[in-house]
This record gives sequence, structure tokens and C-alpha cells, in this order.
Amino acid sequence: MLQKREKVLLLRTFQGRTLRIVREHYLRPCVPCHSPLCPQPAACSHDGKLLSSDVTHYVIPDWKVVQDYLEILEFPELKGIIFMQTACQAVQHQRGRRQYNKLRNLLKDARHDCILFANEFQQCCYLPRERGESMEKWQTRSIYNAAVWYYHHCQDRMPIVMVTEDEEAIQQYGSETEGVFVITFKGILNVNKHRAQIEAFVRLQGASSKDSDLVSDILIHGMKARNRSIHGDVVVVELLPKNEWKGRTVALCENDCDDKASGESPSEPMPTGRVVGILQKNWRDYVVTFPSKEEVQSQGKNAQKILVTPWDYRIPKIRISTQQAETLQDFRVVVRIDSWESTSVYPNGHFVRVLGRIGDLEGEIATILVENSISVIPFSEAQMCEMPVNTPESPWKVSPEEEQKRKDLRKSHLVFSIDPKGCEDVDDTLSVRTLNNGNLELGVHIADVTHFVAPNSYIDIEARTRATTYYLADRRYDMLPSVLSADLCSLLGGVDRYAVSIMWELDKASYEIKKVWYGRTIIRSAYKLFYEAAQELLDGNLSVVDDIPEFKDLDEKSRQAKLEELVWAIGKLTDIARHVRAKRDGCGALELEGVEVCVQLDDKKNIHDLIPKQPLEVHETVAECMILANHWVAKKIWESFPHQALLRQHPPPHQEFFSELRECAKAKGFFIDTRSNKTLADSLDNANDPHDPIVNRLLRSMATQAMSNALYFSTGSCAEEEFHHYGLALDKYTHFTSPIRRYSDIVVHRLLMAAISKDKKMEIKGNLFSNKDLEELCRHINNRNQAAQHSQKQSTELFQCMYFKDKDPATEERCISDGVIYSIRTNGVLLFIPRFGIKGAAYLKNKDGLVISCGPDSCSEWKPGSLQRFQNKITSTTTDGESVTFHLFDHVTVRISIQASRCHSDTIRLEIISNKPYKIPNTELIHQSSPLLKSELVKEVTKSVEEAQLAQEVKVNIIQEEYQEYRQTKGRSLYTLLEEIRDLALLDVSNNYGI
Amino acid sequence: MAGLELLSDQGYRVDGRRAGELRKIQARMGVFAQADGSAYIEQGNTKALAVVYGPHEIRGSRARALPDRALVNCQYSSATFSTGERKRRPHGDRKSCEMGLQLRQTFEAAILTQLHPRSQIDIYVQADGGTYAACVNAATLAVLDAGIPMRDFVCACSAGFVDGTALADLSHVEEAAGGPQLALALLPASGQIALLEMDARLHEDHLERVLEAAAQAARDVHTLLDRVVRQHVREASILLGD
Repeated sequence: MLQKREKVLLLRTFQGRTLRIVREHYLRPCVPCHSPLCPQPAACSHDGKLLSSDVTHYVIPDWKVVQDYLEILEFPELKGIIFMQTACQAVQHQRGRRQYNKLRNLLKDARHDCILFANEFQQCCYLPRERGESMEKWQTRSIYNAAVWYYHHCQDRMPIVMVTEDEEAIQQYGSETEGVFVITFKGILNVNKHRAQIEAFVRLQGASSKDSDLVSDILIHGMKARNRSIHGDVVVVELLPKNEWKGRTVALCENDCDDKASGESPSEPMPTGRVVGILQKNWRDYVVTFPSKEEVQSQGKNAQKILVTPWDYRIPKIRISTQQAETLQDFRVVVRIDSWESTSVYPNGHFVRVLGRIGDLEGEIATILVENSISVIPFSEAQMCEMPVNTPESPWKVSPEEEQKRKDLRKSHLVFSIDPKGCEDVDDTLSVRTLNNGNLELGVHIADVTHFVAPNSYIDIEARTRATTYYLADRRYDMLPSVLSADLCSLLGGVDRYAVSIMWELDKASYEIKKVWYGRTIIRSAYKLFYEAAQELLDGNLSVVDDIPEFKDLDEKSRQAKLEELVWAIGKLTDIARHVRAKRDGCGALELEGVEVCVQLDDKKNIHDLIPKQPLEVHETVAECMILANHWVAKKIWESFPHQALLRQHPPPHQEFFSELRECAKAKGFFIDTRSNKTLADSLDNANDPHDPIVNRLLRSMATQAMSNALYFSTGSCAEEEFHHYGLALDKYTHFTSPIRRYSDIVVHRLLMAAISKDKKMEIKGNLFSNKDLEELCRHINNRNQAAQHSQKQSTELFQCMYFKDKDPATEERCISDGVIYSIRTNGVLLFIPRFGIKGAAYLKNKDGLVISCGPDSCSEWKPGSLQRFQNKITSTTTDGESVTFHLFDHVTVRISIQASRCHSDTIRLEIISNKPYKIPNTELIHQSSPLLKSELVKEVTKSVEEAQLAQEVKVNIIQEEYQEYRQTKGRSLYTLLEEIRDLALLDVSNNYGI
Repeated sequence: MAGLELLSDQGYRVDGRRAGELRKIQARMGVFAQADGSAYIEQGNTKALAVVYGPHEIRGSRARALPDRALVNCQYSSATFSTGERKRRPHGDRKSCEMGLQLRQTFEAAILTQLHPRSQIDIYVQADGGTYAACVNAATLAVLDAGIPMRDFVCACSAGFVDGTALADLSHVEEAAGGPQLALALLPASGQIALLEMDARLHEDHLERVLEAAAQAARDVHTLLDRVVRQHVREASILLGD
């Protein structure tokens, strides 16, 4: 029997009036379900095709999926699809006739295993649209409801999977009904760097499904299962049945060796899957190396197609067709992937350009840049035209209009900056003074970059693309042209500059913040101090005064007065910073070790990583003031723009990542409480071995590794409780203090300016980013920051390798060093070398299957034997009964050598040569801290490169000298002629490659 | 919006009916006390009210009186609020006149007019978003209620033709789509056609099928009307204390 319902529609007439129309809607008890599992086939009166009975589940696509991914649903491989009438109507109404006809034909085609279920005419499935419910929500709700009915109709015998893109729907319906799964599977493919051929992992993006055990990454085992996807692609994976799940291997293994994990027991099986589709390709430029001559010959003499090896281990070999293979042999080359046929093992690509010779410093640096997609072309003319002029002929001046608008702090405040020695881009200055009422006024003044960089100007767009200044081990690539970064925006001493200031009024005794003021100002920095000098002044050592240029030209008396003023200011500042820091420590701020954390946690350190830096208190003072400024700006912009402010979050880490840290600490008898940042900070402080300071350092760096990175985000896309910054223990945080070298700070500056105008009820100039745009921008900046970190790390590694390259490991004293074991694997240990800051693996079992053994003199040698791994130690037993055990945090002596690689970057190899700590004959060396050595290392490498160039020049000189000496004819000798021809030939090669 | 699909591949119409299915019909007789006969019918969302007076003496000019049979006088009007856009003049326009004429033809064929020479029967039909079929069915019930002898029920139904399938009992959406539409008034017992009206082009070959669909629908309507009449009589007899 039919049931009559009425649907009320509101239509819009051509005149624009709304028309209320009532339509009938008839529901019936029996709508054909087209399923072979149907319990009452007679009532359902099936005609036409049925779903096949051998599928494992039925798929019900959501309306949006049908609209957008119909092409995918058309694949004959997809079976058991039920299209809901609601979804079909959504296609018909919103996607036009063509798309709808495609769907109709699909449904008509007997070869496709799909049916239409008229859910809206089924009396149990039909849901009237509720008042105020959006069309989209109603459609999703109807489809879900119909899916549930269908599941019960088939007597719960067939699981049903509803595929949707709607996150909310997943949350809402995901766990409502047993047997009906609401999913979306999307993840980014991450290839394991060390086992490129076999293992890859897919990290799920916001996946939620009924399988609650699916919290970990999914393992993709083997190239075949990876199905032509490349590292970084967004892929769709299919989970394999549980009995096919595999574990990841825990043994150490070198890149070039084959799958030798077979004999070793893999760890616990984890979810394993295979890639079924690539949603978004992440193909970029790849740096590759052509095979050497011998390899080419093995590939066939006249092979036009050549397999080249990418620099990145995670990328498969690429097949390109070129005639120049031989000439390009010694170069690093950029290629691009064009296609990957389903029948081919390798992708096809084409040659783009040459970067430089293998092993050449410039070439290798260029390689690192390309691999991180960093483009450092010089600023264009159009961009430079927008820049203000500041030349000796026409010096830049403070304009009168600006002078009126801004608060003038030039006379009233003592402003000074503290930076590393030789720093050009000073973007923050500080001030402190006593107010008339006895309270203190602390000021942080940041360079007003947004005054010079108008939104959406050429320079703004360029800065946005770069997003950050890139610091490599020996050089940097600026985000803004030097006229801004080193001159007009740099708050140098003794010149007038525009600034954005935050000034707090603090209680004189308790340093409570009473008032805060934000605004644009004009400042003149009185002193440009460097850290060491400031620290000396703070310690009361006034002899450094001679190093400060500002004091040079003063007479003794005024000098004394000024000096006192400055010393007072620095002292007060430090005092305030201590208080603020103590408050933050009370909430659990972390003090962590390691390069990565420095970058995350504070504003100053990341540039200066490689510059010698003793941990001075002044560093902390400056950093604390910056954190305070950032925190207050974050609060301000969030209050003014709750849905479109750019903040920085540091999510709390997953507890399971801390397990390794806890295990390690236990080995040393420490207990690490990781429940909150407070307990973690406390227990890290306690975990200090008086005999071995490195233990604490290692534990801190392990804690760092367990944490996720801090990220920029838009407040509109996150719940407020997620704003928290775990490391700094602040509820809101952003980056505000370095607009010269970070684009995020420029955005924050603009937001702050808009917030100030909003407070004054003024019109907000320029458009701010909407939440969606800001989210997109945050993603870009985060991505670029990561690239900057990677490139910095890779360039440091490059320098380390170049440093050790020329040294003969057997003889050179420096190649032997002390190492600490910080992790244990089945066939080796991971070592940290404090002297060079290197982390690496050392094998206890070599390729021939021999294990390490240490004789009475504790020198190691390779002998046949076996290894046995325990919780926190590893024992190597030789066949003749000797055994040696390595514990966590044991000190050993290692030899550092370089494993040269033609196609990839060189790697550092560690070899344990003794199980006793290394005794350094030269005691001086001990006192040298590692960063000092690092910078030394950079210098040395740069020097040696220069020397190589010099050597070439010298050669020419020698020849000329020979002329003179032997009074040879001025004409060319046959020898030089031949030499020149040879050079020409070389030149020819290098000129031709671009063609 | 890509044109409305009147009949889906699965055989469903826009409102969820299959091709031959009628809309929901509800009817009552004797809704007005002062009239001789009255009836109210709902066919889907179409609602029609019919009132019958007579047979009585000819009113107005006596010249109109027919010597051998009764005069059937039909008037059709639609409520001002019955259509999507409010109507100014509910009756007297061309469409109402035409409808009145058609009704008259239908009922002249059905009522045994010769029993009442020189007299007049007035049928007033008012319909919301009215269609001919609803009016006829309502009038039939009203005439029956008035106790005027008829040959048979007059049952009317419309039919359309979409994609090679004949659709019975068109809804407003289906009418508005502009396909061929056929109105049929049937005397179900004899299968005689009281009125057949179609004002669109339809291929001759299809006519038979559309006609058959309409006739079948009309017969279904008859079953329903018959049930209504019997129900009414039963109620009436209970009231009379029979």
C-alpha cells in the first residue's frame, strides 16, 4: 500500500518571488533491493540485474563522492556498488545532463556490478528534510539512513561501507551502527629512507573508521604494492587481510644491500596494505646522476633510454631518453618525471638542466636546494623597483606624515639591541625604563617590515613564496632584498627606524603586567650590543666597554653616566626575564636539547646554530622577552579576529612515542614521567648522571624526537583547546618578532595593525586573509619551514662529509673519537658522537656475517659468531667463546670514515674500534664544545674549496713563470696549445649541456 | 537543473508512483445540507467540491427548457488560492467556460435526462488546482447524492505519455511538463466513453495504449467511488435507524 507524504518546496520564480509548492510524495513498503541476499525476493520483485553475490561488502558512495568521483566508480574492478537515489538526484540536479546520463548508462550496463536503490520511495528509508537543515546534510543523512536499512534488510549478512568526504558525517555516523562503516581513506605515502625498495608507510589523514585498531601507519610492503606511487603522493590504500600483515624490520641495513631481512625476525605485524590509487601526485624536480661508463655499457651500447638514479633514496630510478648520457656523466642533473606506464617498472622522465659537478661544493649545495624545492633566483627588477631608496646621494628619511602618526620614542626611551656578533638583520630591540609612578615599562620593538612591504605587491608575493630566509651551513638566502633586511628594516644603532612596539607596564616589585600597549613607533636604537658584551656588562665586567663602538667617541664623564644607565637596563631586563621564565616553568615549559628544538622553541637560535654560542644568560633574557611579545600579540590578534588569526601550536606528543625514551632512561636508572609537559620537564632535569653529562643531553634529544613539530595554523580551523603550545607551556603563541626573515611574522604584523585599527573603530585597510586562505598559507609556510630545516641539516651533513673526506681514517687523529650508544638494533647500535654532533649507526655484524669481538686490549676485530639482543644491551659472542656486551649509554671509541656515493650524498660511516671510551691525547680538545667545531668545520671546508681554486690559478702562474725563466718564445708552445685544446674540450662539454 | 525526469529508468515517477498507479483518492458525499446533492473528493493534492441542485423547474428564461429531457447546467470555478499564483477571477474566463461545457457534455451523456423533461439540473463544481477528472468524479458523487438517476457512474481519469510509457493520473508536475495529456470520462459498466479530450499531438500508434491506461485508471477510480457510495449509504441507513 502506498503512503502519501507531502513535500513542501520553495521555488523562486523568474520575477524573483518565492513560490510555495506542495508536492506529493508516495512511499511504498517494497522497493527492489537488487541484492541476492534479499529475504523476500517475491515482495521485492526484482527485475533487471542483481548485485553479484561474491563480494565481501557493499559500497555506498555519498552524494558528493558520486558527483565528483564518478569516473572512479566506473571502474569495472569496483563491485557491489549501491547508488542511492538521493545521490543520483544530486548528480542530476547539480552536475547536468551529461554526467547524469553517464550514471544512467552505468546503471543500465549489465557488466557493471552496481544498482540503484530508490531509497526515497521506501517508506522506512525516506527521511523528510527538517526545518533549517541544509540540502547537503539532508542528503548525507538520507543516504546513511538508507545504508542502515539496507544492511538490516539483508539480515546483517553483508557489511556495508559508506564512502564519504564529509568529515562531520564520519564523526557523526562512524560508530552508530554495527556493520555499517563510514570511511574515507586518504594518506600520504612516506617511503622509508633506509629501505627504499621494500618498505613504505602511509600516514592516515584524519581517517576515522570503525576499526579502532587502525591508529598506526599502514605498511606498504614492496614496490608492487606501492603501485607506482612516489614518496609524498596522497594515495588511497586498501588494507590487506590480517594474515598477510607484516612487521617492519628493526635490523640496521645499508641502502645498497639487498633484502637481507629475510633471516631476521621482523617486529610485530602491523597493518599492511597496498596502494590502489593516487589522489594527488607530488612530482617535483628531481636531482639525478647518470650511470657511470661501466654501467652504461652493461645497459647496452646504443641504449637511448637510460636509467638514472635520483639523489633521494626514496625515489625510484627514472628512465630518460637522451643522447648526452656520456657527457653528463659527472654532473648532477635535474630531471622531471613525465609519466609512469602501468606496465613499466620505472617512470619516464626528461632532462631539465645541469646543476654542477659531482662532489663540487656549489653543485652539491644546488642539489640540496633543488631537492627541497627551494628557488633562490635573485630579486627581479620589478620587485626591486618597489623598494625605497637609501643611497649616500639620497638617504632615506623619516617622512613627516609618518612622524605624526607614530609614537616617537627617540627621545624618551633607551632602546638597544642584543644580537650575535656581525649580525646584519636586527629585527628586535628592547627597552626598559622606570615610569613616573614607579612602575617599570618594558618595551619590545620589532622592525616595521609591513610598512615597506605592501600586501600583494611584487615583493610581498615573492616573500610569501619564499616564506622564510634559508640558512645553510655556510650561506643564507634572504626572504627580503638586502635593502630592507640589512638596512631600512634593520634596527641598527644610531639611526631612525620605524618599528612596531609592544610596551608593558609592570609592577615595580612583583613584575605583574598591569597594562599593555601595541602600536607603531619611531625608534633610534642607542646600542647595538652583541651577546658576549652584554653578558660581560651584566656580570659587572666593564672592561668590554672598549669593544662597543657607541662608547668610543664619548668623553669619560658622559660615558660613565651612559654606561650606568645601560648596565641598569640590562640588569633589570634580566631580572624581569627570570620572573617571566619562572612563571612559565611553573606551567611546564620544556628545556630541550638538539638543533630541531632550538628552531621550534625560540626565535633567536635557529640562525645562530652554527655560530659559536656559549649558553649565556643574556640569550635567555632576549629569548624570554621575545616569547613574551609573541604571546601577547597572539592573544591580541586572536581576540580581535577569532577566526582568522595566524597562531602557532605545538600539539602534545603521543605517549607511545615516549616509550623508547622511558626504556633508555630506565637503563640508567632514571624514571621519566611523560604524562604532562611539567612532569616531563621535571624528570628530564632530574635525569642527570653526574659522571656523564651526555646522558642528559641524549635523553633530551630523544624527548625532542618523540614530539611533533610546532606548526602555524589559522584559528578558524581549530578548536580553542588545540591552540596550546606544549613546549613553551603557553595557551596561545605566534611568531611576531622576526618579520625580516619569516613571512608568518609579516602576516601577524598585518593582523596586529588591523586589530589596532579595529580597536580605534577605524576602517581596516586592505583585506585580511580569510580563514580558508590563511589555512592554505599556513600549510605553505609550514612546508617551507620544513624544507628550510631539511636543507640546513643536509648542508651541515654535507660539510661534515667534506671535512672527513680528505682525511685518511686509518692515520688521521681526528677521525677517531668517542661515541655513546643511544639505541640498540638487532645487528648494530646507534651512536652519538658528542664532539662532532654526529649521530649514526655502527654495525656489530658485518656483511660477511662476522661479528665484533674485543680482545683483552679492548681493540676490536671481526670474528665469526653470533649476536644476541636484549632490552638494553647487545652481546656479541664469537665461536671461540669470547663475548663482548654493549649497554645503552656505553662509551666506545669509533673511527669515522666516509662512505662515498656517486649518486647520493656521501654518508658518514662509524666503526667501533674499541669498547673503551676514547682517551684523547690532547686534552685541549676536550674543552672545545661541539658547535665551535662545527663552525670551524664549515670554515675549513670553504677554505679548502677556495684553495682548490687557487691551485688552478697557481698552475697558470707557474706556466707564465716558466716562460720567464726559460726565456721561451712568446708564441705558443705546442704543449700549451695542446693543453688549451684539452681545456676547450672540457669547456665544450660544460657549455653544451644546456642545449 | 537538467529537465525533470518524469519517469526514471527504474519505473518510478517523480512522486514515487509507478506508471499505472493512481494518486491517493479520498471522497465524501453529502457534505452540504442545503444542496440536493454534494460531494468532496481529493485526488492527490487536487481537491474538488461538487454541488447538485435539481431537478427543478427551469429558472430564468423559459425558452431554454427542453421538451423531452432535462437541461444540465454546469458551472466550473477554481478557488482563487488554488494555484501557485493567486487568480483574480475564479470563474467566467475561457478556461472555466470550457471546463463547464465539457462537464455538461459528460453528464448529459450520463444522467437519464429524459426522465425529467422541462427541468434543470445545476452542477456547480469548485476545484483547487482543478483538473477535469477530479471535477467529474466529484460531480458524479454529488449527482448520486442528489438521487438523480444515472446510467452509470461517470469515472474520469487523465493519462499522459512519457518515454514510451503511458502514465495514469497525471500530477501537476507531469501536466506542467507539457507532454500529451488525455482526459477520459468513462461509464465503467458499459465501457462507454462519455468524453474523450486531448489537446496535444500524439502518434496514432500510441493512442490505444494511452487510452487503455486511462480507462484502466478510470475503472480503478470506479472501484474507489463505488466503495465511497456504499459506505455513505451504509452510514445514511444507520442514521435513518434502519
